[in-house]
Amino acid sequence: MRSGLKTLRRFLTAEEVPRWFGLSIVLIYLVGLGSVAQFGIVQARREGAVHFQRGSLYTIKVLAERLSVLRSSGPSDPKLIGAYQRALREFAANVSTRWLRVVDEQGRVVASTDPTQIDTISADNPPRTSKQAIWEVIPVRAAGQNAPDVFVRARLTSDDPTLTKLGDDQPGPGEAVLYLEARLPPEPLDVSSLADQARMLAIVLVVLGALFVVYRCLREQLRSVSRIADRLQSHQDRLKEDIGSLHIADTIDSVTKAWNDLIDWTQRLHKAVQRSEADEELSQVLQRSGGGALAEALSAIPDGIIYIADEVRFEYLNSTALRLFGWNAHEAKQTALPEAKAAGVGAKILNVLRDALQVDGSFEGRTEMLETDEEIDHDRSTYRLRVIPLQRGHHQGECVVVIRDVSQQIRAERAREEFITQVTHELRTPLTNIRAYAETLSSGMFDDPSVITDCYNVITKETRRLSRLVEDVLSVSQLEVGTIDLQVGDVDLKALLSDGVRDVRGLADEKNIDIQLVLPSKLEPIEADRDKLAVVVNNLLGNAIKYTPPNGNVVVGCQLTGDGVTISVKDNGIGIDPADHGRVFEKFQRASDPEVQSQAGSGIGLYTAREIVRRHRGEIELISEKAQGSTFLVRLPHQETRAAALNTTQEA
Amino acid sequence: MPSILIAEDEAHILRVLSMWLGRHGYDVLEAADGAAALKILDHHTVDLIISDMNMPVVDGLELIKAVREQHGLDVPFLLLTARCDQDKLAKRMEPYSVHLYPKPFVPSRLVTDIDRLLGRAATQG
Repeated sequence: MRSGLKTLRRFLTAEEVPRWFGLSIVLIYLVGLGSVAQFGIVQARREGAVHFQRGSLYTIKVLAERLSVLRSSGPSDPKLIGAYQRALREFAANVSTRWLRVVDEQGRVVASTDPTQIDTISADNPPRTSKQAIWEVIPVRAAGQNAPDVFVRARLTSDDPTLTKLGDDQPGPGEAVLYLEARLPPEPLDVSSLADQARMLAIVLVVLGALFVVYRCLREQLRSVSRIADRLQSHQDRLKEDIGSLHIADTIDSVTKAWNDLIDWTQRLHKAVQRSEADEELSQVLQRSGGGALAEALSAIPDGIIYIADEVRFEYLNSTALRLFGWNAHEAKQTALPEAKAAGVGAKILNVLRDALQVDGSFEGRTEMLETDEEIDHDRSTYRLRVIPLQRGHHQGECVVVIRDVSQQIRAERAREEFITQVTHELRTPLTNIRAYAETLSSGMFDDPSVITDCYNVITKETRRLSRLVEDVLSVSQLEVGTIDLQVGDVDLKALLSDGVRDVRGLADEKNIDIQLVLPSKLEPIEADRDKLAVVVNNLLGNAIKYTPPNGNVVVGCQLTGDGVTISVKDNGIGIDPADHGRVFEKFQRASDPEVQSQAGSGIGLYTAREIVRRHRGEIELISEKAQGSTFLVRLPHQETRAAALNTTQEA
Repeated sequence: MPSILIAEDEAHILRVLSMWLGRHGYDVLEAADGAAALKILDHHTVDLIISDMNMPVVDGLELIKAVREQHGLDVPFLLLTARCDQDKLAKRMEPYSVHLYPKPFVPSRLVTDIDRLLGRAATQG
């Protein structure tokens, strides 16, 4: 029961072709069953009808025998006719007849169950020609009647030689011959067979119709199947290269669609196999060339490197890329591009990648600058992202992404621009003075001796300022490209510092600043580059005087320490905010203090000083608070600790 | 005698300008920065203003704004500048009607230009 239901359900939910096919089979089976049953019924009826007629004929035969034994004086003997009449009436009750009658040779009705027939000659009766037949069955067709009645005639015989001679074919002279006639209604078979035939015809028509419907339903599908077969036959040779040629374009019935889907699927499968073969190849190449070493090398690159395969798969990320996304290698393997999530600049990278992915699954090459949202030291990091699509044969959807942190470059570029602006400005100020005062001298309009002296003084001073500036710029560019060479020799620190103080004495006097030099009684010479150290001292002293208000004081000192010597320059000037301590040593950078900004300066001095000290393997330390004065400590290590370092520096 | 206000933090330049303009018959008012210049404008009437661009406290840009907007003066304004991005600066200065004067300058030329601006025939000695 259950399995039957299951079969039925499967049948009802099955695909179209088998369903139609199954339906038609069931239909044909039912129709066949019906027609067999119908045939059986017809056959049975026919047999029944034959039996019925046979029965009637038998009854009539009995009647004829019975009539034959009746004896009389002649055919017109009223007693005989009365007997005939009674016998006919008696038998008529047992036989289904239209009438029963007895006629003589002339066709005159002697006796009949139909009283109107008596003594008439029935014109419609066929002639009584047959003398041999004891009895015969003649079909009679009346006008407007489809099925003929059956006309039965029996020759009546008699033992009485004077009347009739029954059982003898040849009547004797004067012998009266009588016939028993009966008209039976048409066979039941004839009446029913018409309806039966119509029914049979209807059944045949229904079967044909059902077959036609089934054919109509299956025709399209059969056509598609044959088209597929044709296609397969004609493309057999090309199957390996181009499965796509098996596509059938011009029909959209379900079979073709299913076929096309199958082809698509096969194509995809084919591509996947090809790709996996290629990947296999690639990984073999990687292994041959030492994949581990290659991956290690890629990870050591400061740029982020991403390799995307199959449009969405993160096939490889080096450690920098992983860090940018905030993922680990395992996470990356599990993540696909569409649903990947990352914070900060990682999210921006993902957006660019999704944007670069085209509708056809390939990547568009592009270069974009991405700025981080979070600020570090008032500055955002900038990354340059390049999407490089790969073209490997049939493969699409592959690309390599290179992400480089260009913040440093951008900062350097910005600083360079600022530097040029600054330097131009700084150069123009002394130039303006020199030019203006030179013209004042040459114009001859100002002949006051004190004015002329002033003019000369200004020109001299500004020329010196100009050349110092040029030297600064030069030394920065030397430091930049690393061409600065240390001319190492014995340096007498006492002489170095005294000269330094003497050089700035003039400036200090202008602002009435007191400079003191405090030195230990015994100071051994150190090994260093004298000229470069002089620049350091000059820069530190120059700053001390520049940023100390009039009437202030500056103290220059030198102490021997356990591992070297420390030069100190201390002032009681405007000081430096601790927030700016790192900044002041940077190239072209100055403290953000407006008091500093109001003073001329290029932001080179401290950078140069620190770079020179570092070349000597030393360090500059700054101790300062805003408005508390500043102390710069230059620590230079002893010759022994520095010897090796110096060598490496020179080699570099 | 036409009076000219000079705002310049570089003492040497201030002095040479003052010398030349004084010699050419102008009454010169000196200010070491923009703030000092504004203070002078509170009490004096001037025919022309010369100002440096980079000055402490109140710079040339703030000074011209204050002169035009707060003091409502439309006297000629010469802005001395040593900057290299003069085009950009000129654009920023457009609404204030300013004569940009690049450094380094020639004092005699400056005097001639000022004479012309104030509608005076070139004065000699």
